[in-house]
Amino acid sequence: MNDFTYITALAHLPKWRTERINLLIVDILKKKKLTFTEFFEVEKDTLQKDFGLKQKEIDDILEVKQELPNYAFLVDELLNQGFELIPIYSLDYPKTLKSNLGDAYAPPLLYIKGNKEIFQKEKVAVVGSRNVSQKGIDFTKKITKKLVKQGNVIVSGFAKGVDRVALEVALENEGQSIIVLPQGILTFSSGFKKHYQGIIQGNILVMSTYHPKLPWSVGLAMGRNRYIYGLADNIYVAESDFKGGTWEGVIDGLKKIKQFRMEGYRKIYVRYADRQEKCANNELIKKGVIGINNNLEVISDLNNLNQNKVNPEQIELF
Amino acid sequence: MNRIQAENKLQRLFKHKSFYNDQWRAIEKLLEGKRILMIEKTGFGKSLCYQFPATQFNGITVVFSPLIALMRDQINYLKNLGILAECINSEQSDEENNEIIEKALNNKIKILYIAPERQENLKWLEAVKKMKLAMIVIDEAHCISVWGHDFRPAFKRIVDLVKLLPANFPVLAVTATATEKTAQDIKKQLGAEKITYIRGNLLRSNFKIQVARVEREEDKLGGILKFLTNIQGTGLVYTGTRVNTDIYANFLISQGIKAIAYNAGLEGEMRKEIELKLKRNEYKCVISTNALGMGIDKKDVRFIIHTQFPQSPIHYYQEIGRAGRDGKNTDIVLCYNPLDRDLPEHFIDTARPSKDRYERVVDILKNSPEPLRERDLTKKSNLKQNQMRVIKADLIEQGIIKEVMYGRGKRYEYQFNAPNLNTTKFEELRDYRLEELDKMIKYVEEHNCRMRYLRNYLGDKTNDVCGKCDNCLNKNIFWKNSSEMEKKVRNFYDSYFPELKVANGKTKLVNGVAASYYGFSNIGSVIHKCKYEKGGDFPDFLLKQTLRAYRKYFKNIKFDFIIFVPPTESGDLVRNFTEKLSKITKIPISYSLYKVKETKPQKVFQNFWNKKENVKDAFDYKNPQELFNKNVLLIDDIFDSGATIKEITKTLSKYNINLLSPLVIAKTIGGINVK
Repeated sequence: MNDFTYITALAHLPKWRTERINLLIVDILKKKKLTFTEFFEVEKDTLQKDFGLKQKEIDDILEVKQELPNYAFLVDELLNQGFELIPIYSLDYPKTLKSNLGDAYAPPLLYIKGNKEIFQKEKVAVVGSRNVSQKGIDFTKKITKKLVKQGNVIVSGFAKGVDRVALEVALENEGQSIIVLPQGILTFSSGFKKHYQGIIQGNILVMSTYHPKLPWSVGLAMGRNRYIYGLADNIYVAESDFKGGTWEGVIDGLKKIKQFRMEGYRKIYVRYADRQEKCANNELIKKGVIGINNNLEVISDLNNLNQNKVNPEQIELF
Repeated sequence: MNRIQAENKLQRLFKHKSFYNDQWRAIEKLLEGKRILMIEKTGFGKSLCYQFPATQFNGITVVFSPLIALMRDQINYLKNLGILAECINSEQSDEENNEIIEKALNNKIKILYIAPERQENLKWLEAVKKMKLAMIVIDEAHCISVWGHDFRPAFKRIVDLVKLLPANFPVLAVTATATEKTAQDIKKQLGAEKITYIRGNLLRSNFKIQVARVEREEDKLGGILKFLTNIQGTGLVYTGTRVNTDIYANFLISQGIKAIAYNAGLEGEMRKEIELKLKRNEYKCVISTNALGMGIDKKDVRFIIHTQFPQSPIHYYQEIGRAGRDGKNTDIVLCYNPLDRDLPEHFIDTARPSKDRYERVVDILKNSPEPLRERDLTKKSNLKQNQMRVIKADLIEQGIIKEVMYGRGKRYEYQFNAPNLNTTKFEELRDYRLEELDKMIKYVEEHNCRMRYLRNYLGDKTNDVCGKCDNCLNKNIFWKNSSEMEKKVRNFYDSYFPELKVANGKTKLVNGVAASYYGFSNIGSVIHKCKYEKGGDFPDFLLKQTLRAYRKYFKNIKFDFIIFVPPTESGDLVRNFTEKLSKITKIPISYSLYKVKETKPQKVFQNFWNKKENVKDAFDYKNPQELFNKNVLLIDDIFDSGATIKEITKTLSKYNINLLSPLVIAKTIGGINVK
């Protein structure tokens, strides 16, 4: 049980990069085959020699050791209120998140409430900007409904616009959804009140990667996008601006696809926009994101080597 | 630090020369960051086992203790020694508590006492995460175990916390009363593989314990009166029910004994005052349910009498445990009538509501659009509040529902994938309690040393006898009233009327009186027959009894007229009754109070909130001008929650009434009104 205390303390080591934390966890549990209890008992020397920690890092570890009882109080509060903790080494940890983000970005600890089995299902993210157009909303509704009918779990960031629409449509159609929070899980009371039925029926899983008490902030919201993309097997972009979270997430994802170019690796789709629209959708198509029309048919896939390259400018002729 | 060094410090800090061996064993382990379960009798010096190491740690020792009075006492003691100790509790103002939290955050406290319920308090939870913590202590640790005599759900939270603490963090759990089964359960819950178990001997050598056999309730009253007139010092009389605290106290007062009733039904202020006066020896005795006891810090309780045997020897050992802490001779008497078994058996049988009530609560939470507050859940499920508390705690314990903070308030949530309700546990527990009850009766019927019986029962295996109990002295004690005493008791019975404590100083309502308790003799069944089985008007003996109550209680009030509560389904019974009453007392009757809406019989509703809602805005008065500045007597048949009377007061107060007082035939007792 008290592993939760240790992992919570480690996951929130101040100013440590995710990768550094993940590697330390691997070092403790896998390489050195120690329990966390044993790790926190080792001498300073060992931390330096065997774990290769720098002086600053050792100081951090020693400080967090003093705070372990405090973390016990935090974990107790969480568990008693029905939250669960899923460390990166747990079998419940979503595989997509680990494989998509790797040691560098996969969060060492997830705080969740709801049906965690959803993590293991086929997941798609329907994303888009907060100020989405009516066309974007219509598309979101249509695609979400279709995806839900096919048995996909909808990953939502609970942001205004596309995220909320996708979530609502998923629930209306008796689908399942993961809400990825841009805040600590203890600061989401209104959401938990609103989605109580969805949670207790097992249709909603709420997840946060942040310290449970952190309130919403722009920084967390931006950071959260990575986890939405990371959780999803496939991504559907309803509408993107030329900058911002959606745009960056897609570009980031695209790089990876190009990097791997492998069969079965997840796909990113974007709605093909009309000429008058000011969004960046078609720009993404040009960069190689798969274009789909309002009937959800693929009309452009620059990365698919077996298919003719299509000039998006010409698509309207089809 | 070795023992000699520690004892040097002990001398300097606490002015004690040395530790007992068991004390040092515990302290040594705690200083090494180990976990301890310690069972030692009252007065052994358990507190020192954490107070000393707490002074040696760099950080705060948090002591979870359910007893505010004892907390206060410990803090005074520590402060006198110059040790930084404080407590956070519900009796202090928010400012005081906040100030102490602030001190703790600045590491300016060594020992912080706190009630386990605080683990559910947001402010505390926020703060404790930033404190420099050194050790956790669980006082009255038997409250952790359902097998103990006083399981408290709030302690479950402490156990959860201990499980999460880092392995080398010192934890001390202490209690004076735990059977071996309870102790093993506590060990298991706190992590058996890591815990050191220390158990001392439980002999209370200054106790002179006795069992007094009686055949009737009247003989208990008489016997206790006689006992009290012959004994020095002050003490406690424990009864099995709240009602009996009233009856015994009133009887003793009527015989010139300085007695007072104490039970959980009293206001907090009142209870505090009684505790204080008891401490100052201003009473000969306090008549109490088991609500009093653990929290009393009084070293010279000279006697404890039980009018009714408790559920088990561990309850008994606990309840007598607070007596004679000064080590001087102390009398412990248990009145025994074999028929008394009914009451504890009833408590055991009704300790848990029936399964369908659990299911009702679960279904409501399952189907609610959002998590519910306790009040809404209680209202929707139409359950008694105390039943709701039991159900809630069990459902949380079984992981079916959770208590979740929403803003500052708690709400209840059903859990996805929750297991089904497991009632096997309840049945096991019930069987266990019945076995324990048998062991209590064995105690009464024991022919050998009673202290030895208790010690062996508690796991303190011994062959030693105390040499002081009735069995050791070969005395059989029977209490039977002399005819003179019998007369006193009879007179009391005939003139004792339960008070209706409805006044709160804010309204025109003043206290009233009932002719009897509902369950007393046959009164309840007579009323029931008239009301619900078409038995006709209330019989004359009820009228006579009510008149006696009226004359005795309302000597100082002159009423201008009588009104009565308009009926729901019992027709004109109360009206006819009131007319007769009016004729005899010559107080005019008024028919002006009427119902503006239909209500259901109050007995349908199980808790005060629902009862209140049922009668809300249900009454009005036809000729309001006649109420101006008048004293009005309000008649009803049964007084239960008082919700109807309060609602009528609210209505009549609008019309500038001078005062309103209730007079009823019977006051309900309520099956579970124990504490």
